[in-house]
Amino acid sequence: MRGRKWDQRLADWFEKHEPQGKWAWLGSTYEAFHTFTFVRKTVTRSGAHVRDAVDMKRSMFTVVLALLPALLFGMWNIGYQHFAANSQLSTLNSQLFDCWWFGFLRMLPMIVVSYVVGLAIEFAFAQVRHHEVNEGYLVTGLLIPMIVPVTTPLWQLALAVAFAVIIAKEAFGGTGMNFLNPALVARAFLFFAYPTNMSGDTVWIAHDLWGSDAITGATPLAALSAGADFSVFNSQYSVLDLLVGTIPGSTCETSFIAIAFGAMLLLFTGIASWRIMLGVFLGGGLMGLFFNLLPSLDAQLSTHIYLQLPFYYHWLLGGFAFGAVFMATDPVTAAQTRTGRWIYGLLVGAFAVLLRVCNPAYPEGMMLSILFMNCMAPLIDHCVIARNIKSRQSRLSRQSRTTRKEAHNG
Amino acid sequence: MSDIIKIKKGLDIPLPGAAVDELVDVRDVQCCAVCPTDYVGFTPRLLVQEGDSVKAGDPLLCDKKDERQRLLSPVSGTVKAIVRGERRQILAVVVERGLKGSLRLKVEGFASLEGSNPQTHKPTNPQTLKFSILNSQFPILPFILQRPFGTMASPDVKPKALFVSCCDSAPLAARCDITLRGREEEFCRGLEALGELVAPAPVHVSYNEQSIIGRLLADFENRGLVKLHVVRGPHPSGNVGTQIAAIDPINKGEVVWTVDPQDVANIGRLALTGCYAPERVVAVCGPAAQHPRYYRTVAGTCVAPLLEGQIDAAEPQPRVIAGNVLTGVQVAADGFLHAHTNELTLLPEGDYYDFLGWLLLGLHKYSFSRTFLSGFGSKRKSKQKPALAPEFDTQRHGDVRPLVFGEVFDRVFPFDIYPMELIKAAVIGDIERLEQLGIYEIEPEDMALCEFVDPSKTEIQTLIRTALELCRKEGM
Repeated sequence: MRGRKWDQRLADWFEKHEPQGKWAWLGSTYEAFHTFTFVRKTVTRSGAHVRDAVDMKRSMFTVVLALLPALLFGMWNIGYQHFAANSQLSTLNSQLFDCWWFGFLRMLPMIVVSYVVGLAIEFAFAQVRHHEVNEGYLVTGLLIPMIVPVTTPLWQLALAVAFAVIIAKEAFGGTGMNFLNPALVARAFLFFAYPTNMSGDTVWIAHDLWGSDAITGATPLAALSAGADFSVFNSQYSVLDLLVGTIPGSTCETSFIAIAFGAMLLLFTGIASWRIMLGVFLGGGLMGLFFNLLPSLDAQLSTHIYLQLPFYYHWLLGGFAFGAVFMATDPVTAAQTRTGRWIYGLLVGAFAVLLRVCNPAYPEGMMLSILFMNCMAPLIDHCVIARNIKSRQSRLSRQSRTTRKEAHNG
Repeated sequence: MSDIIKIKKGLDIPLPGAAVDELVDVRDVQCCAVCPTDYVGFTPRLLVQEGDSVKAGDPLLCDKKDERQRLLSPVSGTVKAIVRGERRQILAVVVERGLKGSLRLKVEGFASLEGSNPQTHKPTNPQTLKFSILNSQFPILPFILQRPFGTMASPDVKPKALFVSCCDSAPLAARCDITLRGREEEFCRGLEALGELVAPAPVHVSYNEQSIIGRLLADFENRGLVKLHVVRGPHPSGNVGTQIAAIDPINKGEVVWTVDPQDVANIGRLALTGCYAPERVVAVCGPAAQHPRYYRTVAGTCVAPLLEGQIDAAEPQPRVIAGNVLTGVQVAADGFLHAHTNELTLLPEGDYYDFLGWLLLGLHKYSFSRTFLSGFGSKRKSKQKPALAPEFDTQRHGDVRPLVFGEVFDRVFPFDIYPMELIKAAVIGDIERLEQLGIYEIEPEDMALCEFVDPSKTEIQTLIRTALELCRKEGM
C-alpha cells in the first residue's frame, strides 16, 4: 500500500486542500471525502496501541455487500413480474438478462433518489452541527428502495427519505442515537401517508419502465388477508416459489434464498446478532404453530385461511425474512444486552405473525412489529440491566451480613 | 487441589514477535528512573534534589497526602535529573548509577524478617511484621496495587484478599516461568510475607497448567497459605481483574490488593536479605524486534541497553511501548521502564495513508470481525497461511464515530457487567450509575480488548480511567 506514486500525490493533494480560514466550516464535508478516499494516517495516541482493522465504513460496507444478493435478485424479479403479468416472457431473448435489465432500470432512479436526498440532508446536518458525516446512511440509503413497492413514485420516495433522516435520525443526534430504524420509518411514512399505494392488494408490479402505473395483482400476503382459499393459494404460490422469490412484493424482499446468502455473510463476519435473527424466526414460527393449533380447539376456526397456513410459510412470505436479517438486527435500535436481544427477537417474530393473522387491515406485520419493538428495546434493556444491578446489590448485602457476623463472633 | 477458572469470552491477538526462551543479563545499567505517573492518584513531593547522592532504597518521592507512600531509588548513585512536564508536573526522577555503587546495600528496618529462610522460618506475628514494613525506611507499598481505582496500596486499609496472577495472557506477555527463573525461593518467601501482611485475608495465586507455579506452590496450598487457581481461555483470562471477578468480585466499599509475580519476588528478596534491590526480567518483543528475548535488569532502567541490536536501522523508527500493546505506555528510545512492566514491545508506526483501505480486500489486515479477507484464514496462529498473515502497526484504521456496534464488546469482555452501558455511563460521568453497573470491579486494562475491537475507535480505556478517578475523588 505504501509508496505508490499516484496515491501519494492524491494524499498530498488532500493535505494541501484541507479547508482553513474562511473555508474551515467545510470541515465535515472535507472529512467525509478524505476518509472515503483514504484510511487516514492517524496513529493511536492513548489506550491500546494496535487497533482492529475494522471501522465504521467497513462494517457498513459489509452490510451493503450482504444486501447485494437480495438487490440483484430483486431487480430480476421486478422484470420477471412485469413480463409475466404482460404475458411477454416468451418474447424475450434472454429471460435472465432482460428481466434483470428492466428491473435495474426501474431500481436505479429509486436508489439514486434515496442516496442523493438522504446524503444531502446528512451532509447539511453534519456541516451545521460540526460533526462527521456518518456511514450509517450507506446502508439506510440502499435499504429504503429495497423495501418499498417498485411502483412508488420518486417524489414520494424522496419525501419518505427526508422524513426518515430528519425526524427519525437527525432529530435525535444522528447515527447511533436514533431509536427507530430509519429505513422502516421511511416505509412507515409511505404506508400511512399514501395507504392506497401501499396496501399491497392492487399494485407492486411495474406496468412500464418509467411510469408509476401498476398492474392489478395482489401480493401473496394481500391475497391471504383478503381470505383466499388455502388450496387455491397453494396452487398459485408453491413453497419453491416463495423460497426463490418469484412472487410479487416489495422490490427486494421476496427471495428467501438471496436473503439467506446475506444473512450468512452478516453472521460470518459477526456484524449482525445471531441471537436476534434466530429469535425472530423462532418467535414467528412459534406464533405460527400456535395459530395452527387453534382449529383443533375450536372447529369453527378451521375455515380461517391463516390458521391453515403452515407456520413456516410465515418465514417465507412478505418481508419477514428481510426484516429478520437486515432490519431487526440494526445494532442501534435493537436491544443492547444479550438476554435483551433474545427477548427482542422472539417478540419481533411473534408480533409480526400476530399482526398478519389478526389484523387484516395491515397485511404486512413485520414493519410495524419491528418499529414497535424498537420502541420497546430500551425497556427490555432496562429490565435486564436492572436485574444485573440488583444481583450486584444483593451480593453486597450478603457480603456485609457475613462481615458483620464475623465481627460479632470475633 | 486448585480450582479451574474457565474464560470463554476473549481474544488472543496473533501478534508476531514473541520472545524466545533466552535470558540475557544486562548489568551495565547507567541510569534508572522512578516515574510517579505510574501510580494513579499519586501526588508527588520531592524528597531529593538534583545532585544529591542516594542509596538504593532511599526515598525519592512521597505522596503529599500520605507520607508513608514513598517511591524508592532502585540503585545507588546521584540524582541526575528531575524531569518535568506540563505545569511542572514531575514525570520522572532519574538516578545515575554511581560507578562503585552497590546494589546490595544492607539496610536496617527489616529486622523481624532478616535472616529467615523458608525452611526454618516461623510465621512472624502479623502485627510486628506490618509495623516493621510500614515503618521501615523501605516500604513495599509501591509493589502493591490496590483495587478499586488501581492506586498504590494504602497502609491503612484492610484488603479482603490479595491476588497474584502468574499467567499474563496479554499479547506477547512475558512468561512467568522465565521471569521468575532462579527466583523461585524469593517468590515463595514473598508470598509468605504478603500472606502474613494481609492475614486473615486469603492470597489467591493463578497460573496456567503448563506453568511450574502449580508444583512450586503445591506445598503452600496444603499448608493453607495460598489458594491456587488454574486459568484457561483467551485473553483477558490472565488479567488479574478477570480472575478477581471469577473468584471473589469486589463490592462497593471493599478493597483488594494485587501484586505482579516479579514484585512478589522483589518483596521476597527484601524479606530474605533485607536489602532493596528490585530486579526485573523484561521480554523485548513485538513485530519490529530483531531478536525477541528476555533481559534481566534493574527495575526502572533506561531502555536503551535493552534495545541494542533490536531495531533495524533501515526501517523507520518503531514505537517503543513499556508494557503490552493493549495497555502499555509509549516511551522514548532513551526513556525508562515503567513500574510493573514485564515487556517492552516494539511496534512499527502506522502513519501512512491507506488508499480505499476500508473498501479493499485486506489480505494482511487483522480483524476480530472477519470483515476482511484475512478473516477467512484460520484463527489459530500455527495454521495460518503466510499469505494471510496479519500485519500489525499503530495505525488506528479509521476515524472516531459514535458507538454503534455494541455486540462485539460482549464477545471479548468476560465480566458480569454490561460494557456498552458502562461506557455510556462513563461518557456522561454518572457516578451513581457507574457504581450500580460495577465500575469498581474493573480497571481500564480489563476493557482494553473492547477498545481494540471497537469499530467506532472510542478511547475506552481513557474514559474508564476518567470515570474511576471521578468516583475516587468523589469518595474522598
